[in-house]
Amino acid sequence: MSDGPDEELELTSPLVPLFVIAKGRDLPADHEYEHTALVTARDGASAAAARALSPEARKVMDLIADGFLSVAEVSGHTHLPLGIVRILLAQLEEDGLILVRKPIPRVERVERELLSAVLDGLRTKFGA
Amino acid sequence: MNRDVLIWCLAAVAVISVAAVVALVVRNRALGARKRQAEEELTRQLADAERRFSTVLADLQRFRGEQEGALREAERTAEESTKAVLKGAVRFLQSLAAEQTTLLDGIQRRYGGHAVLADLLDVNHATAQMARKAQGIAVMCGAPLGRRSQAASVYDVVRSAQGQIRNFNRVEIMQQSGIALKASAVAPVALAVAELLDNAASFSQHDAPIEVTFQRVQGNLCIVIDDAGVGMSDEDRQKATVLLSGGTVPRLSQLGAQPKFGLPVVGLIAHQYGFKVDVTGVSRYGGVRAVVLLPEELWTMEETPPPAQETPVRRIRRIPSAEEAPEDRTVHGLPKRGERQAPTAGATDAGGASAKGTRPFKKGPRGAGGLAAIQRGTMSGRAVEVPSSEGTEDA
Repeated sequence: MSDGPDEELELTSPLVPLFVIAKGRDLPADHEYEHTALVTARDGASAAAARALSPEARKVMDLIADGFLSVAEVSGHTHLPLGIVRILLAQLEEDGLILVRKPIPRVERVERELLSAVLDGLRTKFGA
Repeated sequence: MNRDVLIWCLAAVAVISVAAVVALVVRNRALGARKRQAEEELTRQLADAERRFSTVLADLQRFRGEQEGALREAERTAEESTKAVLKGAVRFLQSLAAEQTTLLDGIQRRYGGHAVLADLLDVNHATAQMARKAQGIAVMCGAPLGRRSQAASVYDVVRSAQGQIRNFNRVEIMQQSGIALKASAVAPVALAVAELLDNAASFSQHDAPIEVTFQRVQGNLCIVIDDAGVGMSDEDRQKATVLLSGGTVPRLSQLGAQPKFGLPVVGLIAHQYGFKVDVTGVSRYGGVRAVVLLPEELWTMEETPPPAQETPVRRIRRIPSAEEAPEDRTVHGLPKRGERQAPTAGATDAGGASAKGTRPFKKGPRGAGGLAAIQRGTMSGRAVEVPSSEGTEDA
């Protein structure tokens, strides 16, 4: 039996290791599921598909069931590392359960100076 | 005259013959007596010899018994001392593996957003396999298993076991059952299932699935592991059944250079913690069906982990409204968001949100109308990384 002078070893690590939660999937490419990308559950996400999900994936689905949430926030609420959340989201998107809205890329931001310069130019050319 | 002589002669002959007969009889008697004496002597000697022989034989047997006993004793003490040495060593290994697993988990959470996470996951997987081996050796030499202090769903226990084998992706857990294992059963059942999964994985093709299902049968909870391997011969089955009964403890010295711990370990744990394991079944794929049968004392129907602190989650609605956006930022306190609180708080300038640490921005002249504020809020929410351009906009 497990008695004896030697005291038992207490296991403090989480029971289910993260690589099992990630199901051995690789991290998605860097530009996918950035931490500011917004995710939401797809309207038609079938209950049957959702039932087969792991508890962690189901928790993510619950979080984003009726609204957009950023990837970083999903990570915060599930207490899972960002990378694991991204892996879960990749799987969920593959299964067609979620919609992902990528953050507006930086290049699309216009420079105010440039715009006002163009405006000035137009005004001088065509008169305001 | 002649007659007289004849008579005398006859008489003499008669006397002589009588004397001869008497002498013969006497001699014969004497001979008989001597023979009898000799016979008696011989029988006595024989009995004596037999007695001595039997004592010698008894002695011999005693010696032989003593020798066997001494040998057995020596073997036992050798086994005991081997176990003691191994036990000390393995406890060291066990605690190191546990420490490393805990450390790794911390590191994975700290660098969770970094690409190094992928490698850390692999390291964690290797550590988990090492920890299983250490636990197995601990069981074989009578050391206690690592203990878990919290009950866990049987699904998570099997997932924990799954993580302890090499090709863990082959394992498919078919259903979730809402059944929880008591804390004391978590570690032993996880180890037993891990060993069974490892067996299933090594005796089937490297890409064949291994299915785990749960069944409740008459107050017992069954964890059923089906593989698509080649199955077992009757002889193997019998051997396995003996090992799994946990009644006979296999000697460490008999395990050989490439020890197969699997079934002996499972048998011992099952025996110690009061559950049963059977591998004689045939899986639906024609391979082996292993069944771990847990009696009622080891599990409950309760849903395990109580939902941890419910922080209200405020999502960005599909049509964001002016009031909601700033609240979204303030509730969570996620670091990235925190930095952006200032400009968004400005959206509801007059509202209570501005009370929170928005000093530098509050002073600035804000010509922002309602619509501009909403737009700013949404934009900063979606692209936190982008350096704020609020300053120039407001100016």
